[in-house]
Amino acid sequence: MAREILPVADRAQVRAYARRLTLKYPRELGLALALHALAAIAGLVAPRMLGDLVDGLAKGRADLHVDTVALAIAVFVAAQAVLVRFAVYASSRLGEKVLAELREDFVGRVLALPLSTVERAGSGDLITRTSRDVDALSRSVRHAVPETLIAVVTGAFVVGAVILVGPVMAVPSLVAVPLLWGATRWYLNRARDGYLRENAAYADMTEGLAETVEGARTIEALGLEARRRARTDRDIARSFAAERYTLGLRMVWFPAVEFGYVVPVVATLLIGGLLSIEGWVTVAQVTTATLYVQQLIDPLDRLLSWVDELQVGGASMARLLGVANVPDDRVAGDARPVGEELKVSGVRYAYREGHDVLHGIDLDVRPGERLAMVGPSGAGKSTLGRLIAGVHAPASGSVTVGGVPLAELPLAELRGHVALVTQEHHVFRGTLRDNLLIARPDASDAEMRRALEAVDAWEWVAALPEGLDSAVGSGRTAISPAQAQQLALARLVLADPHTLVLDEATSLIDPRAARHLERSLAAVLDGRTVIAIAHRLYTAHDADRVAVVEDGRVSELGSHDELVAAGGAYAALWDSWHGTAR
Amino acid sequence: MRTLPVADPGIPDARGPLRYLWWVARGQGSTMLAGVGLAVLWWLGQALVPAALGKAVDAMAQRDADTLIRWSAVVLGLGVLQAVAGVMRHRFAVVTWLSAAYRTVQVTVRQATRLGATLPKRLSTGEVVSVGNSDIAHIGNAMDILLRGTGAAVAVVAVTVILIATSVPLGLVVLIGVPLMAAAVGPLLKPLHRRQHAQRDLQGDLATRAADIVAGLRVLRGIGGEQVFAARYREESQRVRQAGVRVASVESLLEGAQVLLPGVLIACVTWLGAHFALEGRITPGQLVAFYGYAVFLIAPLRTLTEAADKLTKGHVAARRVCRILSLEPEITGGDRRSGDPHALPGTLRDGESGVEVRPGRLTALAAATPEDAIAIADRLGRFAPGDVTLGGTPLAELPIAELRRHILVADNGARLFTGRLRDELDVRGTATDEDVRQALYASCAEDIVAALPEGLDAHVAESGREFSGGQQQRLRLTRALLADAEILILVEPTSAVDAHTEARVAGRLGKARAGRTTLVCTTSPLVLDRADHVLYVEDGVVRAQGTHRELLDGAPGYRATVTRGEG
Repeated sequence: MAREILPVADRAQVRAYARRLTLKYPRELGLALALHALAAIAGLVAPRMLGDLVDGLAKGRADLHVDTVALAIAVFVAAQAVLVRFAVYASSRLGEKVLAELREDFVGRVLALPLSTVERAGSGDLITRTSRDVDALSRSVRHAVPETLIAVVTGAFVVGAVILVGPVMAVPSLVAVPLLWGATRWYLNRARDGYLRENAAYADMTEGLAETVEGARTIEALGLEARRRARTDRDIARSFAAERYTLGLRMVWFPAVEFGYVVPVVATLLIGGLLSIEGWVTVAQVTTATLYVQQLIDPLDRLLSWVDELQVGGASMARLLGVANVPDDRVAGDARPVGEELKVSGVRYAYREGHDVLHGIDLDVRPGERLAMVGPSGAGKSTLGRLIAGVHAPASGSVTVGGVPLAELPLAELRGHVALVTQEHHVFRGTLRDNLLIARPDASDAEMRRALEAVDAWEWVAALPEGLDSAVGSGRTAISPAQAQQLALARLVLADPHTLVLDEATSLIDPRAARHLERSLAAVLDGRTVIAIAHRLYTAHDADRVAVVEDGRVSELGSHDELVAAGGAYAALWDSWHGTAR
Repeated sequence: MRTLPVADPGIPDARGPLRYLWWVARGQGSTMLAGVGLAVLWWLGQALVPAALGKAVDAMAQRDADTLIRWSAVVLGLGVLQAVAGVMRHRFAVVTWLSAAYRTVQVTVRQATRLGATLPKRLSTGEVVSVGNSDIAHIGNAMDILLRGTGAAVAVVAVTVILIATSVPLGLVVLIGVPLMAAAVGPLLKPLHRRQHAQRDLQGDLATRAADIVAGLRVLRGIGGEQVFAARYREESQRVRQAGVRVASVESLLEGAQVLLPGVLIACVTWLGAHFALEGRITPGQLVAFYGYAVFLIAPLRTLTEAADKLTKGHVAARRVCRILSLEPEITGGDRRSGDPHALPGTLRDGESGVEVRPGRLTALAAATPEDAIAIADRLGRFAPGDVTLGGTPLAELPIAELRRHILVADNGARLFTGRLRDELDVRGTATDEDVRQALYASCAEDIVAALPEGLDAHVAESGREFSGGQQQRLRLTRALLADAEILILVEPTSAVDAHTEARVAGRLGKARAGRTTLVCTTSPLVLDRADHVLYVEDGVVRAQGTHRELLDGAPGYRATVTRGEG
């Protein structure tokens, strides 16, 4: 399961938001409620007429207008049907409207997440929120909310009708209230966690199946068949345990509730019947009231069975709203950079308290130079790259462009100065054109072509039947990881900041092609400052200066030739890579 | 209650969807029969309430307190029966649902592991994953509705019999009216399903769009484009909303019809009943009972409509499962024993390319085109058919399982599985802590583990996505080394790591594999330089061999391949 990194909104926030949303469309809401109320009233006519009929029959009256009564029942049923139709339609329309607003708000909040959070949080938690929580909330808004509303409205009218029949007839039903209330409370207190666990275990099981399918070749290669089978059985056992728990809850709640439904019917019938024998109430009243109480079961049942879904929806809403609770990481100042010089001085940084990744780095990057950073994994190159790109602010020391700390620039301003491309790549669903225009919405086709040529990608783009208009992204024209990296770089060319940080931005491209790409890119980026975190040594060889980063420090700095001549770690690496000496 | 999962799901009957469903049902026959019995009791408990209610009303009208109390007690008794039979029925239904779903998962997983490398070639991932996402639920639903549906059918029959016994015309009204009602909503179902389908598709697209935004958020926040994507999402979201409203317009008609149709029937029954009552043919209480029957019939009718739908879906789902279950692995093994399992296997030789991997050495293969290396590795590991021999024995004659134990092909398509990191690295479960430490050292992966707060106890997320590409590659290498196969074939094991790390891995690999047979397919000079023997492949055939340095001097094609055209 993904670690939860982003915050979750508290109860008060969720309530305030739900209230605002409810009251936002008073006319639509009023209409839907009114229609449901009228439908409920129309549904109350039949039992009442039947009651009177039975009473008349019991008294042996001969002046009964049976045909009229039957016709009236039919007319009211028809009216109820029409009202239900429009009521359901009105509330669904409102529901869809609110739901669309909810998810659009959420995506808006996601798109406004601070850069440092996006870079650090990984996508697991956010993906879960975007898929599962949006789904759960949809279910709530589409079904649980209207069903509970209808149940409450209908239920209220039925109770009202019983009281109209005879206030005394409503009393016997009250015996069931404590039972229903107590059992449901007991159940709800346990249900939410139980069902969350159940869903999580079920999801684990289906994810395990997906993993087995996707990794089928790996499973065969490593002989993991028995392990996967055991894992599946273990997942199933866990899922079953979770299911058993909630089943146990229902084994208590269901009979209690069902008993709670039947007791009022019997109580109304028996007590009412005894009263009528005493002549305190009429047979008509008892019959009608009994039928009403029976009719109350349906809304009551709907209400109770949707309450826990409402809880789940509330929890999802808390996670969706929580995304907005991430504090903004940039406190933009008013100072604007003068010049393009990048200066790193005395920089320290730690992801976790007490675990410094960078131990006091000083580095002056000259405008227009190509600086390569090399060093073993985990030495802090990528972290330094992110600090230089202004994604994170250093814990101490400073990273400035034109004399202004990068972390104090507003995001839009920052993007004009420095951009970061990492080895992680992503092709958006849409056309190739869409994928490029992200960087500069007003770019012309000629500019896009120039950018693609700069990254050696024009050839394959032009070869596609639909060229720039080819649909790409999951399930469309396949784009290899190498091509995706080319697109990312082409975007960067279009964005055209004066400083570029490339963090292994060509690592997925075939080595020989990568070198060619880097050279043609360099030609286009002439005059731009490029900081390349190098994956292959020829990048360092082609750069103006090389910085060797080891253990969070810059251990060597100079041109390729200087470093080779100095005979340090870099020289040794170069020799073995190049195969010239030993 | 039986405990799930069953240890052995058995061999499924995959000759057809119905046979499969029957196989699933038979596997839990007693549970299902008990479930059917309880469902019948539960429905009958509800169906008989109107009769008792009618008797009570009559007693009331006749001012007979004793009879009133007696019949009230019967209503209560029926309520208790309903409650008890209902919850027991539910319990059996849940178990039936789960055991059908679990069993399907078990046989699908077993089949997937049996198919192995054949699976991705023959089926799209989506096809199999949909088994987990929807098919198992549909099969479970089909089993569940069998129980409830049978009960509902019995209840409908029982009520009809009671009605006919009291009055033939009344009974006929119900007997004809009920199927008519069920048929009357039929024309609405088709457009409803079509619109629901369209809505689901759009919703799927919208979900994909959202996932797309999240996956590319780094890019969007890094260089911009948020406005464009927000606008596009809004547009699609509004389209989903409109589709939702279109569904609602049919759905609301259906809801209306479900009030109207039974309502008309109720009115008819009341009208007829009232006339009979006026004529004295039935009591006022029986009129109440008739009204009650007509109201009651709505529920079993809905269940029967539901049953038709769920059984159809279950059938479709079972067909998909059958398709998967009826596939056979492409590569099959022979039954020849390779002799002493501890003996070092001999030379591994690929006839087509002339590649020879000699025992106990670190051989490297540099191919001018990466596809050649992959094809050769697949043949050597018998993931593709080919003229390959191991110590003179054709691979085709060896049992697959034994072969896989001897020869391990580790490529970059290999996948990390979720679980505790240590377990996922030591997949054979035989390594000591020291072995693990050494393998991490050899693949330069110690820093990855050190950076995790829980170290080796950390949880690996789905396909290791929380690790970077380079980290995943190093962890995969650790796993391959820990598997400790006699012959290890590594395909581009260092393509995603930086030069420093690559140099270290190259230096440590030979020692980690000392005395064992290793083939590394790579074009990295850092790795090639450390190999005992290097083969250079061009156009699918070995063109030159020797040490890295010899080849650099003597084979211009090799030199061009490994130094990337740099002089």
